[in-house]
Amino acid sequence: MFRILCLVLRVSASRCYTLAMSKENKEAVEKTIIVEHLVKNFEVTERKPGLAGSISSLFSPQKKIIRALKSISFSINKGELVGFIGPNGAGKTTTLKVLSGLLFPTAGFIQVMGFDPWTRRPEFLKQISLIMGQKNQLWWDLPAIETLELNRAIYEIPQNIYKESFDELVELLEVKKFLNTPVRKLSLGQRMRLELVAALLHHPKVLFLDEPTIGLDVVAQQKVRDFIFEYNRKHSATIMLTSHNMDDLIDLAKRVIVIDKGQILFDGNLKELVVQFAKEKIIKVYLSKEADIKKLDEIGKIKRFDFPQAILAVPREATAVAAAELLQNFPVADLTIEEEPIEEIIRRVFRGEVIKKKNG
Amino acid sequence: MGKYLQVFKISFQQEFVYRLNFIMWRVRNVLQIFIVFFLWDTVFSAQGRQLFGYDRDKILTYVFGLIFIKAFVLSSRVQDVAGDIARGEIINYLLKPVNYFKYWLTRDISSKALNLVFAVGEFSLLYLILRPPFYFQNNPFLIILFLISIILAIFTYYILLFIVNAIPFWAPEMGWGGHFLVTVIMVEFLSGALFPLDILPASLQNVLNFTPFPYLIFFPLQVYLGKITGFLLFKGIFISTIWIFILWFFMNWIWKKGFKVYQAYGR
Repeated sequence: MFRILCLVLRVSASRCYTLAMSKENKEAVEKTIIVEHLVKNFEVTERKPGLAGSISSLFSPQKKIIRALKSISFSINKGELVGFIGPNGAGKTTTLKVLSGLLFPTAGFIQVMGFDPWTRRPEFLKQISLIMGQKNQLWWDLPAIETLELNRAIYEIPQNIYKESFDELVELLEVKKFLNTPVRKLSLGQRMRLELVAALLHHPKVLFLDEPTIGLDVVAQQKVRDFIFEYNRKHSATIMLTSHNMDDLIDLAKRVIVIDKGQILFDGNLKELVVQFAKEKIIKVYLSKEADIKKLDEIGKIKRFDFPQAILAVPREATAVAAAELLQNFPVADLTIEEEPIEEIIRRVFRGEVIKKKNG
Repeated sequence: MGKYLQVFKISFQQEFVYRLNFIMWRVRNVLQIFIVFFLWDTVFSAQGRQLFGYDRDKILTYVFGLIFIKAFVLSSRVQDVAGDIARGEIINYLLKPVNYFKYWLTRDISSKALNLVFAVGEFSLLYLILRPPFYFQNNPFLIILFLISIILAIFTYYILLFIVNAIPFWAPEMGWGGHFLVTVIMVEFLSGALFPLDILPASLQNVLNFTPFPYLIFFPLQVYLGKITGFLLFKGIFISTIWIFILWFFMNWIWKKGFKVYQAYGR
């Protein structure tokens, strides 16, 4: 684009080059990830059920185009930790795979640290890591330490830096005990932590995490979460995280991108998400005497009734009226009005419920 | 270079993990040799019988030569590549600054090194038991050419398998079928791993000599036995080198296409 511009302006070639360079440098400093109008289509062969179907599909395969990503755009700054949420099949993993150079984009522009991921340049690969909760890179039959040594060689990490980052990771993730056990004998939680060590030995500047806490127990989840937080803070690494685990998102991500059916529905602050998408407010009342639930139901949707406490959900705009009515007609000992919890909203996102912005 | 040395080390360790499996596989190898040995020994049991220009001694040398060359050429790890693609494990390597082709070549070499060690042991053992009339080549020139032809054979087979194992990029369920077609039908049959190719009609041999298959096993063995010399020897080496270039370009082309359509399934 620059070259055309320069041709039009008849700027000398060297001048043109510096112009282009300065633009590039500026972008590299500000934006680590740039995605513009990214489209990814998959071609799948449909198979009819049964033997007859298998045979017929052998001779006349039914090709179908699946539009996994329909022109999405966003950008992420250096050091940001962004949550990427949406229901199953929304296109989250596909996006991460395109960004890490595994998938060839159908259309659009992508740049990660100034590289085109698809070219898979070693300098690019040495600075990224994609961690998938359900996928392992550790050699199954050998102790994890062997894979770590292999990664040291593959990423060409100098011995002293390796030692340092190895010690740091092993201590932070508390995996010293499991280093010399064949991987297949480890529990999922132990393995996942070792996977993290293996994926981070080379100190990636950009980290793509796909369901990093899937299948882990609560304690292990917390360990992994704390670690991700630390890693982001300490190395000011840019992190994109997908998760179906509410706590992952609430604890870690300030900014979230909501994606569904290959389109971005929301991109912004997590708190903003609540303000924008919460349709209801929650009223908690404590009753001093038994009251008729039926009557309560007329005021708002009863979410839970456990005498003396009742929790009601009411439309945002009707909150004041509902509160007044409650105070008037019921033996109220106490009453509080709260925002709908983030969990509820994220849950709606996961269910793929159409969430509409309130103000257009 | 350091990274591939480490790959070599870890592959070597991996080979030893399933010890019982490994031993059974070696036992199978030895039994196979026994069967082929006794088969041909029986066929040639009558004093002075000759078939297709082979007498007892020559055919037994051929059979023993097979152990060695098969251990070198046809023992390949690359057959795992198809599964790697179908299961999505190839992702691990695409994400790293490592050349997938060189990675598997290293694993292949480590597997061959192990094979060689054991093949030497088995060979010595069988030699002591069966006491076959073995022909030792003592012409250094021929030995060098024999080694060259072995290296060419290793590359040819490796590239051939790499091409066939790319099938799952398009059809993830077809990995094994393609491998079966190449190794069992084409290679075993056309390379001379089952019988010496010169028992075939001359016209068929002429055609075969322009395919890459005889250069996997039959040709190196004939060089060792001193049955191919002079012009024919250099023609053979020339043809197999040409094939390596053709297959190499084809492999690069097909893998480039494969990566583009790859969907990095699931997970």
